Parts: sequence; C-alpha cells; structure tokens
Amino acid sequence: MRSSKSSRRRRVRQVNSRNTSPVLRLAVEFRAAFLKDLRSYVRYPAWMIGEFISTPLWFFFFALGVTLFAPTSLSSSSPQESGLNFFFFGFVFIILFSTGVWGMGQTVRNEQMAGTLEQFFLAPANRITLIMGRWARIFLTDALIIGYTTILFYVIGGGLVTLNDPVLFIFSLGLYELGLIGFGLLFAGLTMRIRSYNTISNLVFFGYMILTGALFPVSVIPVPFRYLCMIIPFTYFNDLVRNAALATPTILPVAIEYVTTVLLSVCMLAVGFVAFKKIEDEARVRGTIATS
Amino acid sequence: MRTVSGYKATIGALAAIFWKGIKHYTRYPGSFLLVLVMPFLFTLMIFAMGQFVGGPNASLNFAARTGTSNILIYEILGSAVWMTSWVVIEDVGVALRDEQMKGTLEQNFLAPVSRFTLLIGLSLTDIVITSAVFVVVVGVTTMITLPGAFLNLMQAFLILLVGLIPLFGIGFLFAGFVLRFKEPYIFTQILNLLFATLTGTYYPVSLLPYWVQFVSGALPQTYVVEDMRRIVIANQTLVSMYGSIFILLALAVTYPTLGYAVFKIIEKKASATGEFSKY
Repeated sequence: MRSSKSSRRRRVRQVNSRNTSPVLRLAVEFRAAFLKDLRSYVRYPAWMIGEFISTPLWFFFFALGVTLFAPTSLSSSSPQESGLNFFFFGFVFIILFSTGVWGMGQTVRNEQMAGTLEQFFLAPANRITLIMGRWARIFLTDALIIGYTTILFYVIGGGLVTLNDPVLFIFSLGLYELGLIGFGLLFAGLTMRIRSYNTISNLVFFGYMILTGALFPVSVIPVPFRYLCMIIPFTYFNDLVRNAALATPTILPVAIEYVTTVLLSVCMLAVGFVAFKKIEDEARVRGTIATS
Repeated sequence: MRTVSGYKATIGALAAIFWKGIKHYTRYPGSFLLVLVMPFLFTLMIFAMGQFVGGPNASLNFAARTGTSNILIYEILGSAVWMTSWVVIEDVGVALRDEQMKGTLEQNFLAPVSRFTLLIGLSLTDIVITSAVFVVVVGVTTMITLPGAFLNLMQAFLILLVGLIPLFGIGFLFAGFVLRFKEPYIFTQILNLLFATLTGTYYPVSLLPYWVQFVSGALPQTYVVEDMRRIVIANQTLVSMYGSIFILLALAVTYPTLGYAVFKIIEKKASATGEFSKY
C-alpha cells in the first residue's frame, strides 16, 4: 500500500518535473482527466441506463412520426435510398454533436456549479487537456450507445444499416470530430460568459437539428433559409459523412467538399483553442470564472 | 408556537408557493421562452423530415393515415400537450429535488403547511405556464392556419385543464420516487420521451403495437391529444366525446390519489431514515 502511494508520488513528481517531455505530460493529464470523468460517470448507474434507453427511444419516436408521410413501407425501398437509413445517421450526428454542447461545454459548467472550477483551473495541468479528457469519455460512451442502437436498428429494421466506404467514412468522421472539438472548446469558453447556458445550448442544438441537414437534406428547406444552412460548417460535415456512408449526393462536388471540410475542421479547431484561451484570460481579469 | 390552520391559511400558503414558482419562471425567461418555442421546433422538424420522406405526396400520405390534411395543426396539438406534460413532470416532480439540492427542503417540510398543499401549490404555477403554452402555441397556430376553428379552442382548453389533474397525480408519484431514488433528471428525460412515444404526439396511437396501445390507454395525455384534435380539426363537441371525458375524469381521481398515497409512504420512510438531507 505504502509502496504504491510512494510510486504514485514519484510519478507525479516526474510528470511535474521541468525535464518531462510536454507530450508525456499531456498524455498523463489526458489519462487522468479521462479516468476522472469515467469514474464520475460510472458512479451514477441510473444515468448510464437512462442514456441507453433514451437514445434509441428518441430515434424510434421520430421515425414513427415520419412514417405518416411515407408512401409505402420504408423497409421496402433499397437500403441506400431508405429514409430510415438517412435518419439513423442523423441520430448519430445528433449524439456526436451533443458531445460538443453538453459534453465539453458542460465540463466547465459542472465544475462551476459544484464550486470546484477554481481548483480545476489552479491545478498544474492544461485546461484544454482536462476538457479533452471529458470529450474522450463521452466519445467512448457515445460509441457504445451508437453501436447498441445500430444493433437494435439492425434487428428491427432487418439489416438496413449500410456503410458504403468505411475508409472515407472514418476519415470524414475524423474531420467532423476535429471541427466538433473546436466548437466544443468555444462553447466551453462561452459558459464562463453566459448565465442561461441551458437555454442557449438547447437553441443551438435545435438549430443544428434543423439547419445542418442532420435529419433531412437541406434541399427541403426553403431558399432564403437554405443560405443560412450553407454557411454553417456542420452542414458540410454531415453531408460528407453521409456521402461516405450512404453514397448520397453531396452539396458541393465531392473533391471540393473534401477540401472545404478539411479546411473547416482545421479552422474550427484553431478558433476553438484561441477563443477558449481568450475567454478564459478575460474571465480571469474580470473575476467571472466561477460566476454561475 | 402559532399554529396555522383553516382555509385562509391554506390559501395563503398556496398563493405563496404559486408566486414563488412564477418568480422562478420570470427570473429565468430563457427557459420559459424555450417551453414556448420547443413545440414549434419539434413540429418543424417532423414536418421537414416528413416532406423529405414523402416527397410531393407527403401531405396526401399523411391525410390517408390521419384523416386530415392539416399537418401543422395535427402536429402542433401533439407538441403542445407533450410540452404541457413536460412542464408538469419537470416542475412538480423535480421541484422537491431542487429544494433538496439547495438545502431548503427541510425548511419547507418543517413549515406548518401540509404536504398536499405544497404539492398543489407547485401545480398551480403550472396551470398558468401550460395556459401560456396553449395560448401561444395552439392559439396562434390555429388563428393563422385554421381561423374557422378558433372558437373551438375554449373546449380544447377545457380538455387540457381536465387532463392536467391526472398529470399532477403523475407528478406527485414522480416527486415521491425522486425523494427516494434521487437523480431525477434522467428519469424525467425517459418519462417525457415515453409519454411522447406512447400518447400519439405525432401519430395516431393506433400505429403502435396492440400491447403498447393498452399502456397508452392508461395515460391521460392520450385522451387529451385525441380529443383536442377531434375538437379543433374535426369540429366535434365535448358532448360527443363523453366516453373519453369520462375516462379522463376517472384518471383525474385515480392518479392524484395514487400519487399522493405513494408520495406519503415514501416521505414517511424518508423521514425515518433521514433521506431528506441526502443527495
């Protein structure tokens, strides 16, 4: 017992040493943040069970509502053209997007509400790594939920889930995640400035569902509003992932859309990092870091 | 110690709890705005998704399955009732948990006010909030898209008010469970979602499997949604729907009685085990 404590202390000293490589330090911080969040998550089993019940339920609830408009049985059409397949990926996008809004953004808010944000920020660790630890935990649990919902969907829908090009799918999903991390960091920063966090995150979430082609193509949206859709980066992320998975037509020519999406994800990541640091610095000056 | 009893004291307590709830809503206008906006957003989403799936024949397909081509009113009525139950479950069910988190539950329970008065007081605020939801969501939509049915809205509102009584009972039941099991937010989410799925928010209940329809039949919102649609869209009157109104009234007696009884049992246990201060 004593030896394990002393070895842990030694490890902490090593990590905090000036000679430690920044990469190792980041890795240790990231691991610690990830484990901290995982422990908090498994401490509340009701949340875990609830997430596993509610996520597929949302999907089936909307799918049932939409069947009223469908011409014939949805499963009778080819898998690629199936509306259900389209919605399924819509729900994957929504789950992933919630990581940015309620996952990363909520990290700061949760610590703020618990009164531990100051301790969190005073720790000799990179704040962004701490937030990324939470992102990693949510990504892991989201992947489990998506996998579980996919199996359910497969069982009920009779094998409708398709993946046209797995390599491009993973690549485009990676771009989506990079952009999302940038967006999540920006949102985490905003929590230090806005009081009505829940209201704003709900509105942003609805905006995402309606304006980015997550649940239906942007072509359904009337023209003046469609221009708004076209300036939201997530519209292109969703479009590209869906193209890789279902071979749906893209908004821009495929090659241009890939280039655009790579640029967008890099820009969003950079903007997220810079914005978070800037907002944090401002909040330090104003003394509003822990104002909830 | 001065004892507080009699109807005047009860009314005073009810008024105090009611105003506290209203102040809470006015202090956070963003969440109130969200309650008013969400039904429109959900309806818009379903509508757009439906247009995508159904293509040019979406409205015809919808009419063939529901008997009406007025998609907007059909869906908005479902959304409004769903939002009503959302508000009641969030407010009545979770209010005690919030007091627990703030450390004020003990003070509330030590006040010379019966628990029933406390729960009813919480419910009174929701009558105002749900009325606002009805006026803004249903009233405005009907006035714009189906002005001829505007006069029927009073009957639809009456149905909504009767439907609130069993819903409050479910809220009491939920409040008891929250005292016992804590962690209300995920339960709230699941319950709201179950209500939406089971009560025909965006589709007729007949679309559900038979055994699920049996569960739907035990939920007041199923009758409220169906009756409101019949009143506003099909021009029916309350008199012609006496069967479902009778069921709704029976549920209005059953749920509050059951909810309060369960709440009291859990509260009694919690007072013996010291659960009130645990969170």
